[in-house]
Order: sequence, then structure tokens, then C-alpha cells
Amino acid sequence: MAKKILCHCEDVETEELYSALRQGYGDLETLKRYTGIGTGKCQGKCCFIQTLRLLHDMVTRTGGMEREATGPKDLMIDPDDIRVPTLRPPVLPLRIKDIVEGERGEP
Amino acid sequence: MTRTADVVIIGGGVNGLACAYNLAKRGMQNIVVLERGYIGIGATGRCGAGIRQQWGLEENIILARESVRIFEQLSDEIGFNIFFRQGGYLILIFDEEEYQLVSKTIPLQNDLGVPTKMLTPGEIGDFVPGVNLDGLLGGAYCPTDGTAYPYAVLWGYGEAAKRRGVDIRVKTEVLSVSHHRDSGYEVVTADDTFRTPRIVNVAGAYTKNIAAMLGIDIPTQPHRHEIAVTESLKSFLEPMIISITKGFYFSQSLRGEIVGGIGDDNETPSFSTDSSPDFLFRYAASLRQTLPALGNVRIIRQWAGLYDMSPDARPIIGTVDDIEGYYHACGFSGHGFMLSPVVSQLLSELITTGSTSLPIDSLNLRRFSQGDLVKDPYVVG
Repeated sequence: MAKKILCHCEDVETEELYSALRQGYGDLETLKRYTGIGTGKCQGKCCFIQTLRLLHDMVTRTGGMEREATGPKDLMIDPDDIRVPTLRPPVLPLRIKDIVEGERGEP
Repeated sequence: MTRTADVVIIGGGVNGLACAYNLAKRGMQNIVVLERGYIGIGATGRCGAGIRQQWGLEENIILARESVRIFEQLSDEIGFNIFFRQGGYLILIFDEEEYQLVSKTIPLQNDLGVPTKMLTPGEIGDFVPGVNLDGLLGGAYCPTDGTAYPYAVLWGYGEAAKRRGVDIRVKTEVLSVSHHRDSGYEVVTADDTFRTPRIVNVAGAYTKNIAAMLGIDIPTQPHRHEIAVTESLKSFLEPMIISITKGFYFSQSLRGEIVGGIGDDNETPSFSTDSSPDFLFRYAASLRQTLPALGNVRIIRQWAGLYDMSPDARPIIGTVDDIEGYYHACGFSGHGFMLSPVVSQLLSELITTGSTSLPIDSLNLRRFSQGDLVKDPYVVG
């Protein structure tokens, strides 16, 4: 099967996400730290939404209704665990030189 | 539902999981670990990953030395790569008084088996390419200090504990703890109530809150400390670089990022883990001052965690007088991760045998009611 890249900054494949889930690393905060997704230059702006979609594909019940999961058959996830990890500053990567020399405005 | 346990450990940080593992290894059964968030949500998962033996007090040097001995073989022992790397710690010295203090302390460290030596500014320039030598008097370097990936240490201890039957419960907050003369402790969570003859309170900065439920007063204060990480660079920086007087530290991770932080003398006690722009400005300035070439490198993320500060910046470990079956380890003041392998081992000895292989009496809570506190001069940040 062709490799599917999930996180381009850190070169993480979709299969690595599934492998982490199979080992019990079940929420996105932990998956981020175990696989490295969202820890590169884009800080998750590209890959978290994809990851959320893949996790949602595993959900078998939503809003009290049964639904057919389209993800890997052996994986299940608690819908409560499907949330974006804490987003942290800076919004964009900042050069140290620019931080030191830049002018500081009012917050 | 009411359940029974032989021990309930409150806190799924490195001290809790390592203690669970060590207790199970010593043959204890029915061990429960309660973590209110996910594994690593607290101080362990937010720490700077440093492991150093360069301390000013004999007690700290010995504990750190023994911790390093455990870290050196921990990946093999628990079957999990903790990414332990002994790149050493280099303490940059810009202050004459500090130079005298460190020069006097190195022989003590050497006598205790810690191979620290003083480097001249010239030697530092050769060792750390591009380091700013302005005002630098020298640097204390210990090659066996290093770093490990905190999450890997957590997961490794956690998985090894689970294999030995430990019940680790995440998203399980302790709502109340009470002690009853006849039936022991009652630990209440949303789903279950645990009855147990003993508890281990290792909840980081929240340890004092748990202790307060039992009428125990722990004089620690939560202090926010911030960290930032840069984009990945080709490996160029061997040691962790720190300054005691300037309060900063940084190292290069195995992924190539520069990870570090700087203390803030104006920080007031609080449980806040918000990120501040003020930190980013001060930290960026200290990085560029120390390694000017880093000016062109980008910072990609910052975060904060809590130091559990004790009045003398030394940990509080052991039992509490006149309270049966209660054990705690807290007040690490920023050094909990690096000491956790040995502290968890000593706690497990204390719990299973009543004594420890290294003396920890000087770290008992009772010192605060006896006065004469001694502070380690090597505390950073």
C-alpha cells in the first residue's frame, strides 16, 4: 500500500498514527508527542485537521446514534478525545533576531 | 463502586509512574495510579529534560549521581528508548563570586564521584562553536550529565508498570481523600472509591492540595516557568548550557531543536500555565547574547509548566510524623524529573521495608518546623 503522509513537517505517515493508537496512545495531545505530528514548523496548522478527520472516521457512535466507522476496523476512539491540542504561541515561527530587535507593541 | 488497593498513588507524572513501577518490581500488588488528565499533562511533560549532577549540597549531588546511574541503563530495564544522551552540562560563569563558589564545589563533586572540571574561556570556545566569550570567566563541565525525553520516560515507566499489573487510570481526578484510624484511606474519584492502607502523594504542584485534605500543611508554592523551542538544526551543540546567575538554560534535542528557558524573579506564585510574550523577549535575548549565530533561527513554540517550589528549593520526600501509611515526594523546585529514578526507588524501599538505601531524613517535611534551612546555591531559574 502506498505511504500516506499525515504530517509533512515531521514526515509522519498515517500508518504511524494508527500504530500509536494500537499501542494505546489514544488522545491527540499524546499522539502529538508520541508521533511528532504538529510539532514542526507549521505547528499543526496543516496536519491536525487531517488527524481529526482520521480519528473521526473511527467513531462508531455520535449524537446517540450508531454509525459505521470507516477507519481501520480494529481501532476505536472516545469522541471526547477528538479535540485539537492546545495551540501555543508564536502563531508563526519568529526569528530570534526579530524578537530581540523588533519593537514591542501594545497587546 | 468501592474498590480496595494495597496502595493508591496520586499523580501520573514521572514520580508516580516510576514509583508504581518500582513498587511492582519489589513484589507489591494491587497498585493503582490516579491521574486527572493525560499522562504527562503536568510538570514532567513540560520540563526542560535536563539531568545534572552538578549541585552544591552533598545530598543533592548523591541523589543526582544515583539517578544518572539508573538513567544510564533505564532504556534496557524498562524496554523503552528514553533517548538518554550524556552530552554533559556546561555552567557558564560570568561572576567572580560564582567562580569562587563553583571552584570550591568541584572538589566536593569529584570526591563524590561526579567528574566535573573547570574549563577556561578558550576551552569553552573550542567546545561550543560560536559561543560569546565576552565577560566569561570560565565554565564548569560535567560530561556525564545529560538529557532524556520526558514523555518517553513516562511512557516507559508506565508501560513497564502496566506489564506488572499496575492499574493506571487517566482522566481520573481525586475528589477527596480521608484517613480513618481503623479502615485506612478512602480516595474518592467520580467513578470509584478506593480503600487502601497507604497512599503516595506525588501530584506535583498540587501535592499540597491533596495533603491539605488530610490536614497536612506543605509549605510549597506553584511557580510558572516557561520554555521555548526552535526549529530543528543540524546537530552542533553537545552540552546543555546553563547560567546560574542569569537563570537561563538551553540544549539541543536529538531532533535538533534548541530547547530552553529562563527564570523570572518577578514571577508570583500561581497555578497559571499561560505563555507570556515577556518570557519570549527575555529568552530570545539571552539566546542571542550567548550564541549570536542563533539570531537567524526561528522559535516555533513556547509553553509553561509549574515548579513546585519549597522554601529551601530542596525536595520534600518521605513520611509525615504521626500519620500512618502516608508518603509523599514534592517540592522539587524544578528538579523533579532528573531526580525521579532514584526518588521513586527510595520511596518504594521506604514503603515496602520501612527504610531507604540512601539517607533521606534531611528531606523530611519536619525540617520546616525546625528552622535552619539550607538552600542549594546551584538552583537555576
